[in-house]
Amino acid sequence: MRIACPYCGERSLDEFIYSGDATVRRPDASAPTASEDYVKYVYERTNPPGMHRELWYHAAGCHAWLVVSRDISTHAISSVELAKDVALANNQAMKESA
Amino acid sequence: MANMLKPTSAFSHLDPLSTPSLSVAPREDLTMASFAAGKDQVQAVMATIKSAYGVDLPRRPARVSGKGIAFVWAGPDQWLAVAERGANRDMERELKSLLSAMASVVDQSDGRVVVRVSGPLSRQVLAKGIPIDLHPRAFGANAAAITHASHIGVIMWQLEDASTFELAMFRSYADSFAHWLIETAEATLPATA
Amino acid sequence: MARTKEAPRRDPLQPQRLVDRGIVDHRRTIEFTFDGVTYKGHPGDTVASALLANGVMLAGRSFKYHRPRGILSAGSEEPSALLELRDGARREPNTKATTAELFDGLVAKSQNRWPSLDFDVMSINSLLSKVFVAGFYYKTFMWPAALWEKLYEPAIRRAAGLGRASDAADPDVYEKTTAHTDVLIIGGGPAGLMAALAAAQSGKRVILVDEQAALGGRAIDDGSIIDGRPAREWVRSVEAELASRPDVTILRRTTVFGTYDGGTYGALERVNDHVAVPQKHQPRQRLWRIVAKRAVLATGATERPIVFGDNDRPGVMLAGAVRTYINRFGVVPGDRVVVFANNDYAVSTVTDLINAGANVVAIVDSRPKPSEAISRIASSAGTKLLSGAVVTRALGKKRVTGALIRTQSGAEVRLFCDLIAVSGGWNPNIQLSTHVGGKPLWNDDLLCFLPGSLPPGMLLAGAVAGNFSLPKALGSGADAGATAVANGTKSVSIPVPKAAEDSVRIAPLWRVEDHSGKAFVDFQNDVTDTDVELAEREGFRAVEHLKRYTTLGMATDQGRTANVNALAIMADITGRTIPQTGMTLARPPYVPVAVGALAGHHRGKSFKPTRLPPSYKWAKEQGAVCVETGLWLRPSYFPRPGEKDWLDTVKREVNTVRNAVGICDVSTLGKVDVQGKDAAAFLERVYMNNLKSLAIGKARYGGMLREDGILFDDGTVARFAENQYFITTTTANAVRALQHMEYCAQWLWPELDVQIISATEQWAQYAVAGPKSRELLRKIVDPEFDISDAGFPYLQVGEITVCGGVKARLFRLSFSGERAYEIGVPARYGDALMRQLWEAGREFGACAYGTEALGVMRIEKGHISGPELNGTTTPRDVGLGGMVSKTKDFVGRTLGTRPGIVDPERPQLIGFRPVDRSVRLRSGAHFLAKGANPTAANDEGYMTSVAYSPSNGHWIGLGFLKHGPERVGEIVRAYDPVRGGDTLVEVVKPVFVDPEGARVRG
Repeated sequence: MRIACPYCGERSLDEFIYSGDATVRRPDASAPTASEDYVKYVYERTNPPGMHRELWYHAAGCHAWLVVSRDISTHAISSVELAKDVALANNQAMKESA
Repeated sequence: MANMLKPTSAFSHLDPLSTPSLSVAPREDLTMASFAAGKDQVQAVMATIKSAYGVDLPRRPARVSGKGIAFVWAGPDQWLAVAERGANRDMERELKSLLSAMASVVDQSDGRVVVRVSGPLSRQVLAKGIPIDLHPRAFGANAAAITHASHIGVIMWQLEDASTFELAMFRSYADSFAHWLIETAEATLPATA
Repeated sequence: MARTKEAPRRDPLQPQRLVDRGIVDHRRTIEFTFDGVTYKGHPGDTVASALLANGVMLAGRSFKYHRPRGILSAGSEEPSALLELRDGARREPNTKATTAELFDGLVAKSQNRWPSLDFDVMSINSLLSKVFVAGFYYKTFMWPAALWEKLYEPAIRRAAGLGRASDAADPDVYEKTTAHTDVLIIGGGPAGLMAALAAAQSGKRVILVDEQAALGGRAIDDGSIIDGRPAREWVRSVEAELASRPDVTILRRTTVFGTYDGGTYGALERVNDHVAVPQKHQPRQRLWRIVAKRAVLATGATERPIVFGDNDRPGVMLAGAVRTYINRFGVVPGDRVVVFANNDYAVSTVTDLINAGANVVAIVDSRPKPSEAISRIASSAGTKLLSGAVVTRALGKKRVTGALIRTQSGAEVRLFCDLIAVSGGWNPNIQLSTHVGGKPLWNDDLLCFLPGSLPPGMLLAGAVAGNFSLPKALGSGADAGATAVANGTKSVSIPVPKAAEDSVRIAPLWRVEDHSGKAFVDFQNDVTDTDVELAEREGFRAVEHLKRYTTLGMATDQGRTANVNALAIMADITGRTIPQTGMTLARPPYVPVAVGALAGHHRGKSFKPTRLPPSYKWAKEQGAVCVETGLWLRPSYFPRPGEKDWLDTVKREVNTVRNAVGICDVSTLGKVDVQGKDAAAFLERVYMNNLKSLAIGKARYGGMLREDGILFDDGTVARFAENQYFITTTTANAVRALQHMEYCAQWLWPELDVQIISATEQWAQYAVAGPKSRELLRKIVDPEFDISDAGFPYLQVGEITVCGGVKARLFRLSFSGERAYEIGVPARYGDALMRQLWEAGREFGACAYGTEALGVMRIEKGHISGPELNGTTTPRDVGLGGMVSKTKDFVGRTLGTRPGIVDPERPQLIGFRPVDRSVRLRSGAHFLAKGANPTAANDEGYMTSVAYSPSNGHWIGLGFLKHGPERVGEIVRAYDPVRGGDTLVEVVKPVFVDPEGARVRG
């Protein structure tokens, strides 16, 4: 598999480390439901075939954390974004909805 | 008081290789520092470097060189400054004084060691350990990349010259890297009778 | 197509060699031995072609029944002719005679025979074949299980093994390389060459890979005429044009063995397999990782045998292979030939045989109505044509002597011959299209599987796509090459050379019904048609089950001549169609790949890189014994003359530190520079303990948790300036800790202004520990810096200079429990600083100490390390519960308060000493209450770290025990059934030296 790092370009899988689901967000620890929220955040995952959004780390390259959209049945990658940009956009969206 | 400590090379057995088709030599004469721009400080850092050295810092993997100094992209909003140490140049001190409020500056003069590989066979040799595309159209003058060579992390760049590369790796890997490089060079150089 | 007037001339020294045919170098003669007999051949031969040139057809014995076997094919699909090549350390078993290139002095031996190939004792198995059916091993050797290792396995291995590998280390070197290309063309036959020509017009990068030493593929094998000239001349002109283009690379003797995701292909180049010994430093083989934007699969097709009685006899050969030996190598494999086919490939086979001077005894065509092409060749050659007939059995044992034929009317005819050329049709070599999940499609006209869905970027050309005739192969190659570089825009077309159209008509025939003798489906695994029937009867009908039950399709040929026949027979028996029966998908590798090639440079000591700490050279000079910790090679202890073992040395080192001073290289600890306006806020969220109150110039112990509340790593956090921190991690976790912090900075809290840069290797860092450490350092630290206890108290950090102006960092930290410092200098001064410390330490009786003494002293102090930070423990488990902040959010906070994490029943860290002080403790022992039965239910915890404590004069241990801190003074049982340990131990506080902690402060 090859992943196109937004900075470094397309690199082989062996430069990257997979690090799980990119759709979950670290919950507010001060919320009254924090205990259950964290159990869901850390442990509960579905694993359907098809498209996933995943966190990858460009360990042997620029050390950027990436959000990779990948079809886990075919390994076809449809987008690679910088995790930092995704996280900042999420923060912005949460602010606006609040 | 005179400095009583003599620097030693990290390479315990890298005999410089010099043939018409391939040369390999450690560069022990460098002072290096990495610097990472603080939040919202990228433009300020770039402007400061531009006014001090007359170069535009690259935002993507690349190298730029100014007078007596080169900057290599070393990660998002992060660069490695490389210069010859000469009498007493200290890149960390130099950049700290320029960038104090806008970037974190960390001395890398000792943390990383640099090997220069040059000559017409250099691409062929390096391809035996480096997985990225080294074709001149993909990796040409002043190209830079962070990748790995024979399982050892490297920041590498090409000088203006068409077949001269420098590779920087963490110091403790120096001997392992040299062992791979020399073995590979021997296997690539034309066979001797 | 007329019979040639006179037979072509033969070489008197090689009875089956035609002197003016093929592309071997007839001017040079080389010698080789097979089973001790010397033969002659030519450069360009394979071992198989050279054996055949000398009239040798018997090449080995089969795997299970020890049946005599010959040479079936002329390529990497060969299931039968497997030889042992070379001698000594280079001896290699199971090499295919059909792909091994001949070189002068080659030594080849047959396999699986004893005492000789001609007379093999184990061929008795043939008579017992009713016993050795499919599933025999599964059924026979199931019980008693105790006999497996002692009796069955060695006996089976001796009886059934093929070749013998050398026991010596492989003396050759191997290398790996990566290539990137716009187009990869797999196969250098007519289609691949046209694809390369077309793609090369664009000026883009092209890599053409071909398995053989010479390009041309079946155009050479078939002796084709292209553009009015012999194929070899056309190939030469194409090669010349490709060679003139700087961005075209041709890899000969190279097999693409695997397709991987992202347009990545694995290929093996046999750089020096065709010479006796590679030149100095030159690799034997080279492994290529090829990354291609587009790939053209031009891998051709492999001919199928037909399954009939005794179809494995030496002298039964694929028709295409017969043509290859004639046209490529100038060798006639037999003089009296029966051609048996279900398709029109028989036509050109007959033509070639006659032109080579062989006598074609008969054409046995299973189709009741002869095709026009077959009728024409039979009449023009004057050869007997038996339509609607089949060969039911090959006659002869070690060489075919005849063929038993059943005619259309059912009559039995016996023909004398020494070669049966068989064609059951062609299987496209689609394997590389299925490695990443492509599904093959059955084609009812061509009677073969064609590639179905293709991996992204792959195109097809030639026979692999069912273009079996030469003009179609050439045309499809040109199209594929042009399309591969077209990039969605217009493609460049190049003229397609002219060639004659051959008929490829075929009618199904997989096996001959009512045959006598054994009829083999898979020659390499000795699987017969009755084994397939047995599998069906026993319920193994799915192809995947069939494969595993009979071992069909396994081994070095991957069933390339067997698989389709097997599933066609299974389809027949079960009354299903072939697509309904299914097809096993191929996995890499397409051909065997030596592990040495996969390893390349990375074997032996170079298996992985080694990291050397700054004082390594000095330590070796001192006689240090080193230990691998991760990639690092660290001094473990420094033996001195007169010390009888490592324990002696470690005792001395510990005593020296506790009573005087010792020096230890701790540079391997991970070091990370954390800066930025939000550096403090960031570290507060990463560490479990309070860091807000950490003053500039101070250091503090810190622990990191995982989000699930489990301890992840520990180390120190030092603050050098308002917004500048310098943290250390454990050696083992240095990389992961940096990754974790970058995760936190980029993904969890991207709004924070923090920069994280690894500084592990910038600093050579030495622990200087012991009551005399300050006095020693006073001789190193430049005089303007105050290191008195008032000026530089415990947990102080500072930037100083040493040895006359070298910049340095000093940390007053202690892992040993003694007054101690860590001093760091830029790594290039590391070696020199160690030598200075050593000189300065002489008057204090200083020693150097390694990881062993380091470990002993931390156990004596109850400090946790790897065995306690084992991925299952919490801060409370290790006695750090009180350090966890309750006033801030940090990674691991919420789940760190889960009931399971704070459960008071969780074993907690405590110390142990043996009741009998002379007893040695062992880590891994489990704790049981005195008198309790050793059951899992009674398990109360386990010992994590043990050491002989020189300070106490007996063994001590750390471990986790239920309610441990409340049980000090109690005696429990340390139970270690694996190593036979069962010791009573006393529970003690986990501090064995200086419990008040007075020494660290001086």
